[in-house]
Amino acid sequence: MRPFLAAAAVAVLSLAACSDGGRQETNSDTSGGGNAAGSSGYTVAFVTHETPGDTFWDKVRAGAEQAAKDEGVTLKYSNDPDAGKQAQLIQSAVDAKVNGIATTLVTPDALAGAVKSATTAGIPVVGLNAGIDQYQKLGALMYFGSDETVAGTSVGQRIAAAGAKHPLCVIHQTGSVSLEARCAGVKSAVPGTENLQVNGADDSAVTTTLQAKLAQDKSIDYVVTLGAPVALDAINAKQQASSPAKIVTFDLNQEMAKRIKDGSVEFAIDQQPYAQGYMAVSSLYLYLKNGNDLGGGKPVLTGPSFVDSANIDKILPFTEKNTR
Amino acid sequence: MTVATAEPRTRTRPVRLGALLARPEVGALAAAVAIFVFFLLVAPSFRSSASFFTVLYQSSTIGIVAVGVGLLMIGGEFDLSAGVMPISAGLVNSMFCWYFGVNLWVGAVLSLAFCLAVGFLNGWLVMRTGIPSFLITLGTFFVLQGANLGVTKLVTGSVSSSDISAIDGFASLQKVFASSFTLGSATVWITVLWWILFVALAAWTLQRARVGNWIYAVGGSADSARAVGVPVVRTKIGLFMTVSFLGWFVGMHSLYRFNTLQAGNGVGNEFLYIIAAVVGGTLLTGGFGNAIGAAIGAFIFGMTSLGIVYAGWDPNWFKAFLGVMLLLAVLVNTYVKRLATKGRPS
Amino acid sequence: MTDTLSEHADRGLRRGEQLVDLAGVGKNYGPIRALHGVDLHVRAGEVTCVLGDNGAGKSTLIKIISGLHPHTSGTLTVDGVERRLGSPREALDLGIATVYQDLAVVPLMPVWRNFFLGSELVAGRYPLAGMRIRDMRRIADEELRKMGITVADIDQPIGTLSGGQRQCVAIARAVYFGARVLILDEPTAALGVKQSGVVLKYIAAARDAGLGVVFITHNPQHAYLVGDHFVILKRGGTVLDAARGTVTLEDLTTQMAGGDELAELSRELERQ
Repeated sequence: MRPFLAAAAVAVLSLAACSDGGRQETNSDTSGGGNAAGSSGYTVAFVTHETPGDTFWDKVRAGAEQAAKDEGVTLKYSNDPDAGKQAQLIQSAVDAKVNGIATTLVTPDALAGAVKSATTAGIPVVGLNAGIDQYQKLGALMYFGSDETVAGTSVGQRIAAAGAKHPLCVIHQTGSVSLEARCAGVKSAVPGTENLQVNGADDSAVTTTLQAKLAQDKSIDYVVTLGAPVALDAINAKQQASSPAKIVTFDLNQEMAKRIKDGSVEFAIDQQPYAQGYMAVSSLYLYLKNGNDLGGGKPVLTGPSFVDSANIDKILPFTEKNTR
Repeated sequence: MTVATAEPRTRTRPVRLGALLARPEVGALAAAVAIFVFFLLVAPSFRSSASFFTVLYQSSTIGIVAVGVGLLMIGGEFDLSAGVMPISAGLVNSMFCWYFGVNLWVGAVLSLAFCLAVGFLNGWLVMRTGIPSFLITLGTFFVLQGANLGVTKLVTGSVSSSDISAIDGFASLQKVFASSFTLGSATVWITVLWWILFVALAAWTLQRARVGNWIYAVGGSADSARAVGVPVVRTKIGLFMTVSFLGWFVGMHSLYRFNTLQAGNGVGNEFLYIIAAVVGGTLLTGGFGNAIGAAIGAFIFGMTSLGIVYAGWDPNWFKAFLGVMLLLAVLVNTYVKRLATKGRPS
Repeated sequence: MTDTLSEHADRGLRRGEQLVDLAGVGKNYGPIRALHGVDLHVRAGEVTCVLGDNGAGKSTLIKIISGLHPHTSGTLTVDGVERRLGSPREALDLGIATVYQDLAVVPLMPVWRNFFLGSELVAGRYPLAGMRIRDMRRIADEELRKMGITVADIDQPIGTLSGGQRQCVAIARAVYFGARVLILDEPTAALGVKQSGVVLKYIAAARDAGLGVVFITHNPQHAYLVGDHFVILKRGGTVLDAARGTVTLEDLTTQMAGGDELAELSRELERQ
C-alpha cells in the first residue's frame, strides 16, 4: 500500500506542476481609471432583457460600468428576459427616484406603461440595443444601438458580393424577434437564404444539427450564425460534414477573434455592445449635467461594424479585455 | 391451498404476448423502428452510414446521462440538476486548471469529486429530509446554474470559460472523452462506444446484480424494501451519484470537444433525459423500466431531432413531435402498469 | 403445505423457549407518548396475539421489535441479550422478520425477485457480483408450490397474485430465510373470509414448526383461533395480558369493544 501511495503522490505532484496555456498573470491596471463611483451624485438605472449567461450582455454591462466609473455615476444594473418583469424593474427604478433610466426596448408594447410613468415623473429615459423604431413614440430621449434588419441586410449584401447563392441562417433561440429580423435582413439581400433552428443551450446539439444540415444540402455555401458561440460550433460541424461552406457571424468574442485571425471564420459583424452600454450611460450623464441631446433627434447607430482579416489585428487585443 | 401441489408442472418458461408487451422497452423499440423506416423513406441523406453515426453521436450525448436518469427514476427519484451538471463539471475542470495553470488531469479528478459530492448531497438531502427529490434537485439545479455563471464571471471576467487547449494533458483527455475515428465513410465518436458500454453495464446491473434488485425495490415500494433489509438510503444515494458521475462524463466530453464552455448552457437538458427514460418505458412513479429502454428513448430523440433536418423540414416542429412522443409513451406505460398490477382471483 | 416451514425452521428451537422479551417498554416521539410500560413475551412454538383499536400503539410496538424505531424506555431482550435495534437489517440478522399488511411485497417486481429481495443469492462477494438467477427462480418456484401457491409464471409481477397469496409468499419468504420470530402486522385485515382462513392456517403451521409468532390484529375471532397468549393495548398501555386458558373469546371481544367503558355506557343507556 505504501509504495502505491508514494507513487500516487509523486504522480499528483508532477501533474500539479505548472502548465502552460493557462491564465496569464497580468499586473496591468484593470480599474480603467476614472473618478470614484458616485462623485457626480447621479444615479442611473440600467435595465436590460439579458438572459443570464450571454457574452453579449456581458459587454453591454462592462461598457455601462466603465462609463459610470469614468463619470462618477452610481449604476444600478438589473435584467430580466421576461417583458412583464422588465417593466417591473423599470417601475421600481422610477419608485426609487433615480436620476435617469437606460433600458432596452425589445418589447415596446409591454414596456410602454413603465416608460411613460418614468417620463411623467420627469426621469429622462434613454433606449438602447433594441426598439429603434419605437423609442421616440415611447418618449425616450435618445437611442443607441443597431438596426437588426439593417445589420442583416449588410451581411447579406457582403456575402452576395462574394457570390453567395444559398446561405444558411442559424437561429439559436426560439421565438426571438431580433434574431428573426437579422435572418430576414440577410434574406432580403440573398433570396436563397434558408433558416435553421437549433438548440443554443447545447453545443453538441448545435454541432450535430448543423452537421446534419450541411450533409443533407451540399448546395449551402455560407453559414450565417447569429452569436459567436454558435459560430464556433459551426466550425466543428463544417469539418465533420466536410462542407465547403464559409462561415460568417454576428457578434464577437475573444475565441471568435482568434478564428477570424486564423481564417476559419470569414468575418464577424459587430454591433459594438460595449459602446451601447457606455454611450447610454454617458448620454444620460451629459443630459443631466449639461442638457446635451445626442443624435440630432435620430437614433445613434453603434453598428454594424465589420471585423475581418483586415482589421482583426487591431481588434484582437480589445476582445481579450472583454470590451469588444 | 392443498390442491395446488397436485397440479402438474407443464412448462417452465411460457412466451405470452402479454408478457412480451409488459417489457418496458418494447413500445419504444417499435416506435424507434417505425421512425427509422419513416426517415429512410422520406430523407435521402438519412440513408448513409455517415448520417447514422451522426445520429448515434447526437443520441449518445443525451443517452449517457439518460441511462443514469433512467436508473434513478426506476429507483423512484428525479434529478433536475442533471442538465446543468455537465456544464458545472466542465467549468470546474477548465477554470481550476486555467486559473492555477495545472495539468488538466488534476482538474478532471477534482471535477469528478465535485460532481460525486453534489450527487451525494442530492441523495442525502432527499433521504434525510423526506422532501421530494423533485424539489431538492430543483434547488441544486438553480444553485449550480447560478454558480456556473457567477463563478465563471468572477474567474474569467466573461460568461464563457477560457480556451484550455494549450494546457498540459489536453491531448490525452481528448483521446479519452472526445476522440473520433473513421469507419468507412463515417465518423464514429468515442462517446458512442462509452454510451454502449454504460448501457450494457446498467442493463446488466438491473437484470443480474443484487443492486439491480434493490433499485427496482426502492422504486417500487421503498418501505417494503426497507422491511426486508434492503439498504434503501445507500441504494438511492448511490443512484444520485451515478447520475452525477455520468453528468461529469458528458461534461468532460463537451469540454474536450469544444475547448470552451458557455456558463449558461445545459438548461433544459434535464427534461430531455427524463423524456428519453419515459419514452423508453420507465415509469414516472418508479419501480419499472430498464436501461435498454432509456437508450432507445435517447436514440429516438437523436434520430428525430436530426431526421427532421435531414429531411429538410422546418425544425421548429421538432418540439411538437417530441411532445407527442412523450404523451404516447406515458399512455402506453400507464396501460402496461395497469396490466401488470391487475389482481387476479386465486 | 407445512413442508417448507418444518424444513427451514430452526432445528434448535425448543418449544416454550423465550425468544424475545419486552419489559416495561415505552416509546416517546418528542413530547408524545406513543407506548408505555408494555410487557410482551414471545416464546418458540407459541402465537402471541396483540390486539387493539386504531391508535392503541400496535404499530409502534411492531416498529420497536422490527428495528424501525428504537424504544426509549424499558428493556428489549433477544435470546437473553439486551438489545436496541437500530435497523430492520439488525432485527433480521437476529432472526426477527416482520410481514406488514400492505407492505409485504413490491407489486411491480416478479415473484422470484420478491421472494429473494434483500437476501439475494450472489455468485461472489465483489460489488457487482451476479445473482444466481436460475437457482433463485427454481427455489422460489419450488417453495411456493410446496405451500400450494401456484403461479402461472414465476416471472409475473407479484401484484397479479391475490392478497392472501401475497401475505403467504411474504411469510414463507421470512421463514425460508431463517426467521425465528415472525411478526405479522394485520395479515388478515384486508382479506375476505376464505383468504383469511388461508393465512390463519399458515400462521398455525408456523407455530407448529416451532417459530415464535407475534400476531397483530383487531379481530378477536381470528386471534382466538390461533393464539396462545393475548395482549390488548389501549392508548399506549396494556389493559389485558392473559394466557389462552384464562380468557374466553367473550372476554376478548368485550375488552376489544371497550370493556368496562362499554359496561358503563350500557348502564347509562339502560337508565333512560
